[in-house]
Amino acid sequence: MNELVRETYRYRELIWALAMKELKIRYKRSVLGFLWALLNPMLLMLVLSVVFSTIMKINIPHYAIFLLSVLLPWTFFSQSLSYAVESIVGNADLIKKVRVAKLVFPVAAVASNMINLLLSIIPLALIVVLMGHPFHLTWIYLPVPLLALTIFTLGATFFFAAANVYYRDVAHILQIVLQAWFYITPIIYSIDFFPEKYRWIFKLNPIQFVLNGFRLSVYYGLLPTPESIFASFLCAFIALFIGFAVFRRHQNDFVFYV
Amino acid sequence: MASESVPIRLQGVTQRYRVISERPDTIRELFSRFFRHKTSYHDFDALKDINLTVARGEMLGIVGRNGSGKSTLLKIIAGVYRPTAGRVEVTGTVAPLIELGAGFHHELTGRENILLNGLLLGYSKREMLGRQDRIIEFADIGDFIDAPVKQYSSGMYTRLAFAVATEVDPDILVVDEILAVGDMPFQAKCFEKLKRFRAAGKTILLVTHSMDQVLKFCDRAVYLERGQFLFDGEPEQAVQLYRDRATPEEPVLIEVASR
Repeated sequence: MNELVRETYRYRELIWALAMKELKIRYKRSVLGFLWALLNPMLLMLVLSVVFSTIMKINIPHYAIFLLSVLLPWTFFSQSLSYAVESIVGNADLIKKVRVAKLVFPVAAVASNMINLLLSIIPLALIVVLMGHPFHLTWIYLPVPLLALTIFTLGATFFFAAANVYYRDVAHILQIVLQAWFYITPIIYSIDFFPEKYRWIFKLNPIQFVLNGFRLSVYYGLLPTPESIFASFLCAFIALFIGFAVFRRHQNDFVFYV
Repeated sequence: MASESVPIRLQGVTQRYRVISERPDTIRELFSRFFRHKTSYHDFDALKDINLTVARGEMLGIVGRNGSGKSTLLKIIAGVYRPTAGRVEVTGTVAPLIELGAGFHHELTGRENILLNGLLLGYSKREMLGRQDRIIEFADIGDFIDAPVKQYSSGMYTRLAFAVATEVDPDILVVDEILAVGDMPFQAKCFEKLKRFRAAGKTILLVTHSMDQVLKFCDRAVYLERGQFLFDGEPEQAVQLYRDRATPEEPVLIEVASR
């Protein structure tokens, strides 16, 4: 774990350059460029408001905020994974020619998506104001779930990026896993919709703890319980520990398989 | 205590590749293989028990036919591969010029790639920005420096790669054939640079199929065949060996994956 912190710090400039490269390529040849990171949540909100409030008549007030407060961090997680899973294989050209710490590639994938997530907080705040939802003081708590989410995401990306080097099927399986994971996680709904006796099932899902703090602080203006905060960091560190252990063990062999 | 540190020392280095004969011919074969967990492969030693010491200020030529293990040797020295067995000691910074474009990203411009490449080699952003002008000047590719490198000709690619690798001022420079792509004036410029490098006490490894270059510039040469050194010494003799053994009557390539 020491190695992870040390190498990340040592290669911080490279990671930053790779992350910017990723963003640049993502928004390349689009007229609005970086503005898309801001526009996306706004347009999404428009669609959601129409679908859920007008067509499906869900009676959750300000459903768009209820949803976006969790959907944006979830998107960060799933996008980071989708990019990072290919990050080793996709940089084969570099890995085969230069000696470089392999961890920079998944870390850069997470970093570029983090920039996107941070940018999308601006439109989220805007939506809160536009819809007349109270602007809770608990917003200042957001860095805490952000940290847990980042640690969790890094762990998952290390694992999937390493696995995909050996079995390219992993990238395809991941997409299905993410789809299923999205629906079993309280994102478009809340655990409270279910009777008390079934709620324990959701507690088996580690990312639920990590995402929980976002909705509480943005939508409800509440803080998670200490147990819930503890659970979120426990899940996050377990994921990072396992993911990085797998990655580290195999990183010197990647070059022979990419 | 080691009195004088040697930049490159390899002891008993072996690099083994597992060659997997992929591509099952029929779907049935694919399934039967999948379920019986039977993949057909064989191991192949790209390098066998290599011992090599290169001194400071030495320009070593590495010659041999395709598939003899030259690039594998360079990749081990550059730290890209960790060998299957043996000890590798490399002291100092290494700038590898292995294959075309030493790690360029084709969507980025030449200028952006200078920075990215420098960071990949372990230099800081500030160091690279300080060297940028000299790199651009040496590469001499005009306005193309601000175009994505995917639009470059292979000659331009080489120019930029060579400029970056030499201007970062490494202790060891590893050059794999790529100079063959540059035009005559650029090649002359490169060898001028290599000479100055050597004079400054740097170590250079040169893989080439141009025997003239070996004779003209190298202090020493090794001849590689099937992953082993058949000769290590005077460039003239290495070149002679290469010429003798590369006659068309000889089997030209090592055998490849037999299933």
